[in-house]
Formats: sequence, C-alpha cells, structure tokens
Amino acid sequence: MSWGSAVRTAIVCLILIMLHYTLRPLLGWRASIDFLLIALVFGAVRVRPAGAAVYGFILGIAADSLALGAFGAGALAATIVGYGASYMKAVFFADNLALNGFFLFAGKWLFEFVYVLMERRMQGMEILMHIVVWAPIAAAVTAVAGVVAVTVLRPILEVRTA
Amino acid sequence: MSGRLDTIVFAGCAILAVVASALPTQMRDPVASGLRRTIVAPLVGLQTSAERWRAAWQESERRTLQADSIALRLAQGNALIVENERLRRLLGLGSRLAWGFIPAEALHMAGRAEDVMTTLTLTAGSKAGVTQYSPVVAPEGIVGLVQTVDPNMSIAILFSHPDFRVCAMTADGSAFGIVYPHLDVRPGRLAERYLLELRNVAFGDTLRAGTAVFSCGLGGAWPRGVLIGMVIDEVKESESWSRTYILRPSVNPAQVSNVMIMTADRRTQGVGNIWADEAEAVARATAVRRIVTAGDSVTREQAMADAAARRPDSTRRASVGDSLRQVVDSVADSLRQAPRQAPRPTVPPAPVPVPPPVARDTIVRDTIVPDTIRPDTLARRLP
Repeated sequence: MSWGSAVRTAIVCLILIMLHYTLRPLLGWRASIDFLLIALVFGAVRVRPAGAAVYGFILGIAADSLALGAFGAGALAATIVGYGASYMKAVFFADNLALNGFFLFAGKWLFEFVYVLMERRMQGMEILMHIVVWAPIAAAVTAVAGVVAVTVLRPILEVRTA
Repeated sequence: MSGRLDTIVFAGCAILAVVASALPTQMRDPVASGLRRTIVAPLVGLQTSAERWRAAWQESERRTLQADSIALRLAQGNALIVENERLRRLLGLGSRLAWGFIPAEALHMAGRAEDVMTTLTLTAGSKAGVTQYSPVVAPEGIVGLVQTVDPNMSIAILFSHPDFRVCAMTADGSAFGIVYPHLDVRPGRLAERYLLELRNVAFGDTLRAGTAVFSCGLGGAWPRGVLIGMVIDEVKESESWSRTYILRPSVNPAQVSNVMIMTADRRTQGVGNIWADEAEAVARATAVRRIVTAGDSVTREQAMADAAARRPDSTRRASVGDSLRQVVDSVADSLRQAPRQAPRPTVPPAPVPVPPPVARDTIVRDTIVPDTIRPDTLARRLP
C-alpha cells in the first residue's frame, strides 16, 4: 500500500471512528450503526492479517476502556474480525456492493457473538435473544451504513476487485 | 514465513485480549483509565458533546409536547367553560319551566361549512313523550319543531327550514306578523343564512332595530311568549301594504347542543314571561355593544379632528420650505449665469478656420432658465 493510499485510508477510518462517537449517540437507536466495525473492516482489508489483528486489538481495547464491564471482550472480537477480514480480503472486497454488505453483516454478527460470549453479562435466553434478534438487526443496519459509506467513499478508497 | 508471523501476531493479540478480559478489577481499572485519559480522551469528549446534544434535543421535544398538552388543555378548558355556561342556562330554563318539557341532546349532521343547517336530530323520541310538532326550545329561544318521531329519537326542523313558520308579536303586543326563514341569501353572504323575516306586519306598525319578537301563540304549534329574535332592519319594497322586517334569531343553530322539547300540555298552558328576561339580557348586550362601537367612533373622529388641526401647521412649515427653496434656486440660477457675464480676454484669439455652415439647433437645452416663480409667490412679487 502506497503512502497516499495509507493516508487516505487513515483519514476515512478516522472519520468513521469519529462518527461512531458523534452520530451514534445522537441517533440513540436500540440496534445502532457500528461505525467502528466499518472502520475496522475498511482498514483491515488494506493491511496484512498481522497488522489487521493489531489494528483490531487497538480499536477494541480503546472501545472497551469506555465499557468497564466488558474490558477485553471488544478487543478479542475486533481482533478476530480484523484478522478474518484481512485474511479473506480477496473474496471480501470484490467490487460488488451486495457482497460488501453481506460481509459487513457477517463481520458485525460475528463481533456481537464473540463480544456477548466474552462479556459474560447476559445469560440463557437473554444471550439467545441478543444473538438471534438484536445482533442481526444491528448487523443489517451496519451493513446498510457500510454500503452507503463504500458508495460515497469509493473514489477515495480505491476498492480492489477480486 | 509471513503467514506464520501473521498467525503468531493474531494469537498474541487474542491472548492479550483474553488476559485483559480476565484481569482483576484493581488491575483492569488503571489500564482503562490510562486509555481514557490519553488516546480515547478526544473520542470521549466527542461522545459527551453528542450525548449532550441528544439530551438537549430530547428535552426540547419534551417541552414542546408539554406546551402542546397545556395548549390543548387550555382549549378544552375554554370549551368546557362554554359548555358549562350553556348547561347552566339550560338548567335555569328547566327550573323556570318547572314541568312539561323533555331534555334532549341535539346531534348535528356533518356537512359542509357553507351549507345551511335545516334539521336537527334529537336523542329523545316517543318513549320519552315526544310527539310530532312539539316545539323545540333552547335557553335563548326558539330552535325548531319536531317533524318525525321514532321511539328513541326524533328529527326537528330548524327555523332555517323552508317550511318553518311561526306567528310572532312584539313584547307589548302592538305588532303582529308571521316569521319565515330568510331564504334570499346571496352567495358568499354566509352571515345571513340563518336570518329570519317577520312578514305581514301592519303598515302602520313601525319596529325599531333591537325590538324583541316573541311567538304570539296563535296556530297551536307554539305557546305565547317564546323569544324568536331581534329586529335588525326593514326590507324596503316599492309597493306594499304591509311591512317586512329582518330578524336576527336569538339562537345560533350551530351552537345548539342541548335543547328542551315541550310537551303538548305545556304548549297548551303557555310559558308566561320566561323568555322576557332573556330578551332583556340580549337587548342589554346589544346596547352595550352599540355604546362601545359609538365610543370607538368618537375616539376615531377625535383622532381625525386632531390630525386635521395639525395639518395647517405642517402646511405652514411646507410653505417656509418653499421660500427657502426659492432662495436656493435663485442662487443656483445666478451661478449658472455667472460664466456668461465674465469679461472677455483683451487679446484677440488666433484666427480659427471657419467650418462650412451647417444648419443645426444652436440652443443648448440646459441653458434655458427654468421658471422659478411659483404660483403661490406670484401674488407677492406683483406690485
């Protein structure tokens, strides 16, 4: 990745991270858009899997610092998602919006699954309810937002074709 | 090799995350606190601001809802006050009538606002003792006449119905006539749609505006003494043997919600002077309104008179301005003429080749001196 491309990716990721801490609280939805995950995926597919894992770990631990009860859970989930996204980037970032949306959806769902299991806050039916109902809804919302972001930022991101 | 490195780094990160998750609280908090104070601090600031915005927005929405609720309650409160007043008056009528009446609710048929309402559905029928042609009254006076009776409801024609008639008289019984609905309403004059006409008044009986008109009791349908309305004007006709007056009904059909239906016994026995007080109250209110209107006109005329009194002063000031303007004009004229009066140089100018003569207008337009004498100053200048 060239320096110019790295700077552009960093700027886009920074914008998405800022949106996560500004737009998301303003919207206040029950199943809200996870801009951090979009930023994680967008950044991860442009670096090696090792870099993506570190990037995911840093993003996750930073987010966990604001949620004391789940410290480390977000870091593990983001590490897995970032590594997986980078590992599968050839398939993941085919220049197809629907496919991008689907993999964002799967990434968010996986993130929620790992996070809820690691967090150990919910139990029984509550976990099932979260994983089966709320996580897919949040994943769908995030996927839609990610598709919109890919469409808007396509000239900057230079999405690679498969 | 690089694939193995990737796996090792990934495993390292995952192990770190699991370790972070398993840390005891006293070890976890300093790490989280350090992160919050350093790299996450700007993001925390952004989140705090965003949440404040959201809280402010929600608070604003809540206050708007509160204001709307208060406004709605206020509107409902006003409607309740009006309804309460109407019901009080109805109770007053009930206590004055004492017997021989059936209370009923009046249901309005939904229609266009510009349509004249001519019928009213009443929630009392033959089971309650309502019969055909029973008079329907309100505390203010006549409403209509029951036309159709069902066991539990009835339909009455209002005084605006084309078939409505009632024999009428003045309070002192000096003039009689027949009241008809005023059907000759011009398009766009919605205010006239519920007016009544008092026809066949003897030519010698002149009624003043504001005279109360009551039912005279002839004909059998209406008892004597129910208030119908007030005279507002006379209809001018070129050839006639009787007079016709326009009446403003004492009841506004659009505002009728509860009525009394008189029974046949009560109709026969009469109602005495029950509506005389109502007529006096209406006359008093009309008089007060006239006094207020007259006061307004006096104030307006006084203001116009004051303005007219001030006008000569301003006219005088304007004439002073005119004379000043004359002085300025004359100075400007003298300045314009000054270059022409300047002495010519003594040294003759060098010979200039004479161009061939061309016929043209040599008068420069701006050299024409305007007439500076104003008509109002002409008399003063003339000897």
